[in-house]
Amino acid sequence: MVLTLYGNPQSTCTKRVATVFQEKQVPFKFVAIDFAKGEHKAPEFVAKQPFGQDDDGYIIYESRAIARYIEEKFADQGTPLIPKDLKAKGQFEQAASVEVSNFDVYASAAVYENLFKKFQGQTPDPDVFNALIKKLEAKLDVYDQILSKQKYLAGEEVTLADLAHLPYGSLLPAVGSNAIESRPNVARWFKSLQDRPSWQAVKDGITATA
Amino acid sequence: MVLTLYGYTRSTCTQRVAMTLLEKGVPFKFVLVDLLKGEQKAPAYMEKQPFGQVPYIDDDGFILYESRPIARYIAEKYAGQGEPLIPTELKAKALFEQAFSIENFNYNPIASKAVFDKLVKPQLTGIPPDQTQFDTLMTELGTKLNVYDQILAKQKYLAGDQVTLADLSHLPYAELLHGKAGTKVFEERPNVLRWLNELRARPSWQAVKDGVVAGTA
Repeated sequence: MVLTLYGNPQSTCTKRVATVFQEKQVPFKFVAIDFAKGEHKAPEFVAKQPFGQDDDGYIIYESRAIARYIEEKFADQGTPLIPKDLKAKGQFEQAASVEVSNFDVYASAAVYENLFKKFQGQTPDPDVFNALIKKLEAKLDVYDQILSKQKYLAGEEVTLADLAHLPYGSLLPAVGSNAIESRPNVARWFKSLQDRPSWQAVKDGITATA
Repeated sequence: MVLTLYGYTRSTCTQRVAMTLLEKGVPFKFVLVDLLKGEQKAPAYMEKQPFGQVPYIDDDGFILYESRPIARYIAEKYAGQGEPLIPTELKAKALFEQAFSIENFNYNPIASKAVFDKLVKPQLTGIPPDQTQFDTLMTELGTKLNVYDQILAKQKYLAGDQVTLADLSHLPYAELLHGKAGTKVFEERPNVLRWLNELRARPSWQAVKDGVVAGTA
């Protein structure tokens, strides 16, 4: 039976998952959930996804957990996205955690402040936004150091940890931040991720491949 | 060479790693990094942990930072001893990942902010905490814990009937919120309370709940 992804075509977390389907060459059906109509909070949806976000298949939610499941289930096809060797895997976990605690926390809040709030009819607060970007930039200074010595965040091979940055990283210019482009190694790294066919296939919205 | 944990006594992330080392029966040394003296920003420290945060481990020359990855690394390296903390079967493992992600995204941001605002910042600055803000965060946490209560009505732990790293990862902030910070959000939800008290009773947590003071080697 073909795997089904339930999500929103423009959702950052849904794109995170769809990118991995593409990398692993896993065909998937797509069921679009309309946020504007509140479909993600409807009882039938919440029964499967109690936190009311996005999900799939044998019923698994949380985009990074879904990405890991796809990578492990289809480890032998497409791009290897999680190393097997214990220490290399430890480095991957470190990078994946850095994405969560040092990047996403600021990048997603900044995108929320200057973009998603507008969709909800609210007014962005420039002080909040600027404070978040300042923190993000301090973290990206560290990324620039790390990426001056190696090609990707966990070493010389791309991993899930790199790809996880794509959805919010790609929205930063749209909200007025050049934090990525202004750091040479970060810019190089991020562009190489954006050039990947898997991201090109989902960056403007998601459609099914099965 | 014995594994060395570099961290701060009262750091929740340091507790997370120490608890995991104890669960797996892994001897370790502990080196104090005094956050109040800014030792985590010293150049020599930042060569090992470039973000200037605690903790990190040195496992015979292999340096790793970020508490959850360290916990995972220990759980995997020592999979054959102590409590199994990460399932190996594909679907059980994915459900663990789901639960671990929930801790990271649905619980940790609220819990850590609440603890920082109510306990840490007042201690550092002497300015009394904003109770209204804390109450708002607890209302938000309560909404999440309502879902936890549903999940835990049907199974013993968040990923199934076996304890995993996902459950344990909640403890450092839960202990502070349920205790000193004085919220009732855990005790108002019977399944959540049952789950929390079982986790808190574990010897590995009892050993570090008041802070990590020393290693075991």
